[in-house]
Amino acid sequence: MARIATIWAIFQGLLIEALPFLFIGVLIAGLARWVAPGGRWLQRLPDQPILAPLSGAALGFALPACECGNVPVARRLLAGGASMGSALGFLFAAPVLNPIVLASTWAAFPDQPWLIAARPLGALLVAVVLSGVLQQLPEGQLLERSLLAERRLSQPLAEASLLERKSGVLGTPPPPRAEPSRPSLRTVLEHSTREFLNLAVLLILGSLIAATVQTLLPRSWLLAVGGAPTLSILSLMLMAVVISVCSSVDAFLALGFAAQITPGALLAFLVLGPVVDLKLLGLFGVIMRPKAIAITAIGASVVVLLLGQWVNLWLL
Amino acid sequence: MGQPVAALIRPLTLGLWGAALVLSTLSGRLDLLLRGAFHPLVGICGVALLALAVQQWLQPAAGRESVQTQRAWLFCSAMAIAVVLAPPNPSFSDLATSRSEAFNGPSQLEFVLPPSQRTLTDWVRLLRSQPDPQLYVGDPVNISGFVYTPNGGHPQLGRLTVRCCLADATPIGLPIRWPEDYKPQRDTWLSIRGQMAMETTASGARQSIVVAQQIKAIPRPAQPLEP
Repeated sequence: MARIATIWAIFQGLLIEALPFLFIGVLIAGLARWVAPGGRWLQRLPDQPILAPLSGAALGFALPACECGNVPVARRLLAGGASMGSALGFLFAAPVLNPIVLASTWAAFPDQPWLIAARPLGALLVAVVLSGVLQQLPEGQLLERSLLAERRLSQPLAEASLLERKSGVLGTPPPPRAEPSRPSLRTVLEHSTREFLNLAVLLILGSLIAATVQTLLPRSWLLAVGGAPTLSILSLMLMAVVISVCSSVDAFLALGFAAQITPGALLAFLVLGPVVDLKLLGLFGVIMRPKAIAITAIGASVVVLLLGQWVNLWLL
Repeated sequence: MGQPVAALIRPLTLGLWGAALVLSTLSGRLDLLLRGAFHPLVGICGVALLALAVQQWLQPAAGRESVQTQRAWLFCSAMAIAVVLAPPNPSFSDLATSRSEAFNGPSQLEFVLPPSQRTLTDWVRLLRSQPDPQLYVGDPVNISGFVYTPNGGHPQLGRLTVRCCLADATPIGLPIRWPEDYKPQRDTWLSIRGQMAMETTASGARQSIVVAQQIKAIPRPAQPLEP
């Protein structure tokens, strides 16, 4: 019974801490819809394999929030017709490349300058690799159905495959679309509240799973292999996924056990957590299909494991 | 579900979560869940959700949501009600036992309080920065915390430090030499007066230990988590 009470309390802690950030993210996405209804500036973001994720990551400096708040904004980028690379770059790298997270990492580890550089660089590497891998899937297999439909409205017809087109294949080309007018505040609020509630449901489920797993799996087990190079990285990666703590404070949490683990494991914890965790995987469901989410989880884990190994080889 | 009822689900869910967040902020429940820096953010978010609920009630959405969406939102409403009705009551001892002891504070102290005014956290911080137990022998101790037993160890008095929320709570503890006839019960909160002493552990290391002289059971403090 005490254990259930603990799960319930951790669930409330995770959820109540994340809800305001989710709300801020939805608010920013709603504001973007209202201020720039056509999202034409989004379509001008670069589309090159490296430059696109880097430009998306740079947008993180405009949204100093953690990963929960980034999901609705990334969805808005995709729905507005932004290049896939820049939107995915934002989704995966912006939770680390924002002023609050960089400052908190610096505050927690002022005596480890390599970490201050390695964390954002690692996040960029993960974003570039994931963006490249995920774009091997056609958009129809990558994006969640309703998002794909919204995105198609913002894209030139030539972007859609022949099978997806409902017009323009034969006969005269369709007339150019007029710049959409600014939606009413009522419409924006209607859309934003729907988005917030849909994401809140997923956040509730993710927080429930994360609270249950971390209560039943003692953290001391994960730290028991602290000194072993590869095992320590794997165990800290698992810990990042399970704990699901927000990226703006995870450096302070890592500070508590930094002395017990290898440097590669420390970096793995700080780079993987903002991209993949139990609380976040449900939220990804409003952007990607299950297959793409699985690729994201596996791809990010492989890159982070290799990165951690390389750091251990370098520093141990 | 009929149209009028379905149209109410959206404002109802928003309102229930708004109320849950505002209530948690005002009732002090957040002290058990989150670090203080996040409390105003939660309160503001709750008020904003309540305002949106009123707006959505007065100006209902034009489109109708699918049955699946309506069910998901009802589940969301039910969770908000559960959060209001079932306040958090974690087992501090469970949390402390399942996590490795660590301390996130600075390793160097800028300022040291007189011994009898130091909290348990102050003592742990001091012992980490200047670990020579000889320095503290005979110092008066006046601390409070909950009882927990680290894996394979003896019952200690502990506190949880939190950077963000309960999910990242990390225990810190002080070894206690309990009176011979006293059996400490896990999860009870105690106020202990005593003296600092030195003992040699089984591995031959010397460590500071609190010799408990007066033990008093106390209720859980209003703000049980340490920054």
